[in-house]
Amino acid sequence: MKTLIIGEIINNNLSSGTLEILGKAKSLDLDVQVVTVGSDENPSIGVDLCKQTYLKRQNNSLNLSKAATKISEIIKNEEINLILGSSTYMCRDLISFLSVDLNSSPVSNVVDFDVASGNVSTVNSINGGESLYKTKINSDQALLLIRPKAFDPVEVNFNDDFETIDLDGSDLEVFDIFIEEKSGPQLEDSKVVISAGRGMVDKENLELIETLASKLNAAIGGTRAIVDAGWMPYSQQVGQTGKTVKPDVYIACGISGATQHQVGMKDSKFVIAINKDEEAPIFQLADLGIVGDTLSVIPKLNDNI
Amino acid sequence: MKIAVCAKQIPDPANEVTYSNGTIERPEEQVLDDTDRYGIEVALQLKEKFDAEVTIISMGPSGTQKGLQQALQMGADKAVFVDDESLKGANSLMTANVLSELAKSLSADIVIFGTESTDGYSGTVPQQVSRYLDLECISYVKAVEINDNVTLTRQTVEGSEKLNMPEKCVISVTAGGVEPRYPNFKDIMAAKSKPIEQVSISDLTINTTQNLEFIDIETVENSKSGEKITDEGEAYQEIVNKLKELKVI
Repeated sequence: MKTLIIGEIINNNLSSGTLEILGKAKSLDLDVQVVTVGSDENPSIGVDLCKQTYLKRQNNSLNLSKAATKISEIIKNEEINLILGSSTYMCRDLISFLSVDLNSSPVSNVVDFDVASGNVSTVNSINGGESLYKTKINSDQALLLIRPKAFDPVEVNFNDDFETIDLDGSDLEVFDIFIEEKSGPQLEDSKVVISAGRGMVDKENLELIETLASKLNAAIGGTRAIVDAGWMPYSQQVGQTGKTVKPDVYIACGISGATQHQVGMKDSKFVIAINKDEEAPIFQLADLGIVGDTLSVIPKLNDNI
Repeated sequence: MKIAVCAKQIPDPANEVTYSNGTIERPEEQVLDDTDRYGIEVALQLKEKFDAEVTIISMGPSGTQKGLQQALQMGADKAVFVDDESLKGANSLMTANVLSELAKSLSADIVIFGTESTDGYSGTVPQQVSRYLDLECISYVKAVEINDNVTLTRQTVEGSEKLNMPEKCVISVTAGGVEPRYPNFKDIMAAKSKPIEQVSISDLTINTTQNLEFIDIETVENSKSGEKITDEGEAYQEIVNKLKELKVI
């Protein structure tokens, strides 16, 4: 099946989400090409596995709609049947625009898909991952938004062999571009993640988590509640509307474990949960649950590690 | 300035979501999706500065209209909705098709959404509506500064960026982007006399089809039933031991 993956650039290479989708596409033996949208000057995004096209945006204008129009053209010219993108801000925009152009509703939150006998079928996660919803797609083109960490990434050697198409800017000028400083381990690829919830009581108590994180070389995440409260930037939110993590060890501190949070961490290999409330849903996911005040447990951990 | 804000009525999130033949079962009484309160708040702030008219647009079983009332209580001027049996289980594209037609019928300059509904969370409808209306979509807005110009801050994968809001566009607002207002008693009473109008689907141009066929729903067994220890002062030691065993320390 002729397949187009919408690629994204992180650190001058293809993002892990893109490589995960490429891994799945290769395992299904799909006839795949990647069209990457970004604004980096000289990315190294060529892959030895398939054709790569770079749609280069101008970073001082919001022109994703123009990128979508170009991708629509490629889809029509090359008779693509399957379009795949990661559930990121950019791909959500692009796949949505394409769905109107192609008159084909996309499937979001896809955690698995298959292409048996020319039909695309999907499995997507609903109710915060409590259930799996299976769909068959009956349109000529299928558009899938795939959750991060659903598949194993493909191993690739990046090269500079790809075609670049410069996109026009739009009238919508972008300014004050702020790039969050990324120091220390990142949520997506850290082996240990420590997340904080309302049970940390006060923003100042996050220092306890920071101390523990530095001792364990862990990335720090948080629930939507504390991100909404302004304790942490949105980029550190774990859950349905934030990041999906799959570390070796996940330590949930003062997190009750709403389904929206669970979907972002339930595939972690070993879960340690500390919560006052014995009935907190997080304990159902925990390999080791401590019923107690996280504000008294973490300082002791910090003193003893 | 005419502003359309999308508001979805959803089953009370305190209750478990149930499905019938692949479609969410909706009780007569549904509530306003909290996610939409952020979009409504932005619309109301614009109204205060620019004397705009704010209309709630909605699609789905209307039932007791409680959710629409809640949107009007916040301060929107009126509501229009489409409720048609043929839209039961509508996919995201069909939903966007209907909502964009409603926005068009109102000659809306600005169309505002939350980023994704709490019950369906496909997270694609705002962008789809912008494409139908041939307007730019300023998605994932996390801060709004209203002066003579309106400056919107967008969340991006690396951080954020700012734009001046054009005269016509579609906006999606992230949860936490603004602080939604709580209606007082006066607002609640005033909402009762605000118009709520049903629009017939036959008055709208709908070209989408149901290209997604429901096959099955499977429940995932998440429960791990791990070890649970009540802390009496020494439980940290269990964590230390486990971290050693897992070779984290």
